[in-house]
Amino acid sequence: MTEYKPPPLPSPFTHTTPPPTLLTQGAEAHLYKTTYLTPTTPAALKIRPSKPYRHPILDRRLTRQRILQEARCLSKLVREGVSVPAILALDWEPQGQEEKDALEGRAGGAWLLMEWVEGLVVRVVLERWEGWMKRNTQMGEEQRKGEESRVRYLLRRIGHVVGGLHKAGVVHGDLTTSNLMLRPTAAGSSVEEDGGNPSMEGEVVLIDFGLAGHSNQDEDRAVDLYVLERAFGSTHPRTEPFFDELLQGYHEAYRGAVSTLKRLEEVRMRGRKRSMIG
Amino acid sequence: MIGIGMEGSANKLGVGIMLHPNDGSPPRVLANVRHTYVSPPGEGFLPKDTARHHRSWVVKLVKKALRDAGVSVKDVDCICYTKGPGMGAPLQSVAVAARMLSLLWGKELVGVNHCVGHIEMGRLITGSTNPVVLYVSGGNTQVIAYSSQRYRIFGETLDIAVGNCLDRFARTLHISNDPAPGYNIEQLAKKGNKLIELPYTVKGMDCSFSGILAAIDGLAASHGLGGQGKDDESNDDDDKPTRADLCFSLQENIFSMLVEITERAMAHVGSKEVLIVGGVGCNERLQDMMGIMARDRGGSIHATDERFCIDNGIMIAQAGMLAYKTGLQTPLKESTCTQRFRTDDVFVKWRD
Amino acid sequence: MSALETINLSHLPASWPVHVALYKDVKNAPFLRQQLISGNSDFEYALIDASMILTRTHVLSAVFRAINDYTNARLKSRNIHSEIVFSLSPANNIADSFRKFGITDSTKDLLVVKVSVTPEITHESVATHLGASIEGSAVPFNDETLVATSDVAKIKKAYKLGGLAPTPAKTNDTKNHERQRLETALLGAIALRGAL
Repeated sequence: MTEYKPPPLPSPFTHTTPPPTLLTQGAEAHLYKTTYLTPTTPAALKIRPSKPYRHPILDRRLTRQRILQEARCLSKLVREGVSVPAILALDWEPQGQEEKDALEGRAGGAWLLMEWVEGLVVRVVLERWEGWMKRNTQMGEEQRKGEESRVRYLLRRIGHVVGGLHKAGVVHGDLTTSNLMLRPTAAGSSVEEDGGNPSMEGEVVLIDFGLAGHSNQDEDRAVDLYVLERAFGSTHPRTEPFFDELLQGYHEAYRGAVSTLKRLEEVRMRGRKRSMIG
Repeated sequence: MIGIGMEGSANKLGVGIMLHPNDGSPPRVLANVRHTYVSPPGEGFLPKDTARHHRSWVVKLVKKALRDAGVSVKDVDCICYTKGPGMGAPLQSVAVAARMLSLLWGKELVGVNHCVGHIEMGRLITGSTNPVVLYVSGGNTQVIAYSSQRYRIFGETLDIAVGNCLDRFARTLHISNDPAPGYNIEQLAKKGNKLIELPYTVKGMDCSFSGILAAIDGLAASHGLGGQGKDDESNDDDDKPTRADLCFSLQENIFSMLVEITERAMAHVGSKEVLIVGGVGCNERLQDMMGIMARDRGGSIHATDERFCIDNGIMIAQAGMLAYKTGLQTPLKESTCTQRFRTDDVFVKWRD
Repeated sequence: MSALETINLSHLPASWPVHVALYKDVKNAPFLRQQLISGNSDFEYALIDASMILTRTHVLSAVFRAINDYTNARLKSRNIHSEIVFSLSPANNIADSFRKFGITDSTKDLLVVKVSVTPEITHESVATHLGASIEGSAVPFNDETLVATSDVAKIKKAYKLGGLAPTPAKTNDTKNHERQRLETALLGAIALRGAL
């Protein structure tokens, strides 16, 4: 078995000093941290490498289609005022880096530079909170209520953002707590933790629109909510009782919520026809 | 321990005999015989004809398997048969035969899930311990990974199976069904080189093929390529695809989809191994593509040859015996078969 | 010394610095425009009407896109400098992009960009030539100056962002916040130009 080596970076990132730092690698895309225009402006670089197993023409078509789909969704959401990372730059067809790419007419993948979002993903925030709650079983009723209301408020804000997303006619396609971030607000809000209990202040930002698309179907929106609900249920069982708070926030931000929530009932009833445990 | 496996969920009738040595050494295939019902070009296999084929061949195959294995009836511990999924009538013929042998010889019955049979045989032959499994055949298209006592389905077709898509396009072109329509498409595709644009229908880890079949059938019709034709035709017209180009494009398109959903599942569960099983898994182009993907992820691909990829009896024996050893038996009363039987319905007691 | 600033943009080859100068109250705009039209190679610059530029990041994003397209050998216009003007545009019409973003006879405030695509083009060579050619007062190329020179209404119109949804500003600095939101939308439009 050969050691995994990420594919070479496309142009122009071959010149970048210092080289972009690899953060995550999914099946489709690699996420790097780098800069934009100036060395002090951080940026997230998403690269969809060319897939050598595919026919070059098909590869070019799919890679291009997908990076553009993602970029268009982000661009639309930015204009609509939904909290998502801004697009900084984009190339859906950079030249291939290797000679054989050129011979095959294969593009060098595609890339998208996005605004860097500071903060933590909601999954981590909630994991830390759950850990802290577990360690502090002796807390009084009042304090427990206080803790719960912090989580409720966070869920309500998440509902607002998801409502804004759907209002803009976009569905995310992969709404999990790993694709929600909590960005500390500039106005001096503290990210400091109180003995391991994380701050829940800040702006909720949606990230990773790799599977997103435009849709005005209740079904698609309901599936978005259902996936999110399951993510809370399976990853953060302590927060599950408060999911209604999220739906409440959703309702406040999005007028079409009534029919989507009705559809959500159906999607729940139908259940997942298969279990997806990873 | 010796088990007989009987498979007949589609147009292949298979009987296999497997030995699991008592000293714990690796299982040995003692016999693996098969007879295929081949329908004429342009036609699929109908359930009643296929069932008739199975009924008329099953006794011959069991006798031949026992002869090949050099074992006598008294050495046999259990009779494993395919409970489902598959075509109703052919499944029934084989289930009836298995029941008859069980009563005649006084042996226990073990009902086996066909998909689990493929997975267990693939694991045994390739030595791959915990792979992501792509199961691709005429009736099934699933991406599977094992987790806490189940083979979980991460992705699957939302309409027809990938093999069904290939088989039906073979019918459109009146390509021979001997030895298999998919095999003949693969050979013809080797002569194609022009990629025709087709729908690419992947959603997350699921995919669908009926739209692609409709599109390529439409292309064949509009270029007058359907029906009986010469496969070695040459073509001076640059814009007009040949039959070979259509087969090539169909394969490139649908296999890319399969590799993509497999890769997504591998990333999701953090696995580097992939195992391809099922009849379509014999396709060398699919194996090549999957190999490139796996290598790029620092992993490896496992595939088997036609003896084990294509439906067979020995895989039923293998999966059945693993279950039998954990105490599972199928009482006569419950020895039914079923057309629908999900892979994740099986409790996999034999794995950790 | 002039106010010519030389910038190395992230990711682009270090041997290709970008020279930028901002001038107020330019007196000889018709002359400069004429040099472009007649194809005088001494005047191969991106000459941009500064009222159409919101921020540094705005114009540098267009420069970044143009250079990236140049290195990938897919310029849509004559040279890298015309491509910079074109790259400011959200649409594919080159002539139209020049009418909207390029220098006009009535241009008062002018932004000049030059890329060192060959070693002969240096900070000194550009500074000397600009100093001799542009009749206007050089001012620092920064966001404070651009706040004064930019025409936000015209910019919004050119990018068809008139209906940019307002956000409930959480900060007191609403004006700055709106400017940032507009900038973000401009960068998206520049990046996505030509995506069918």
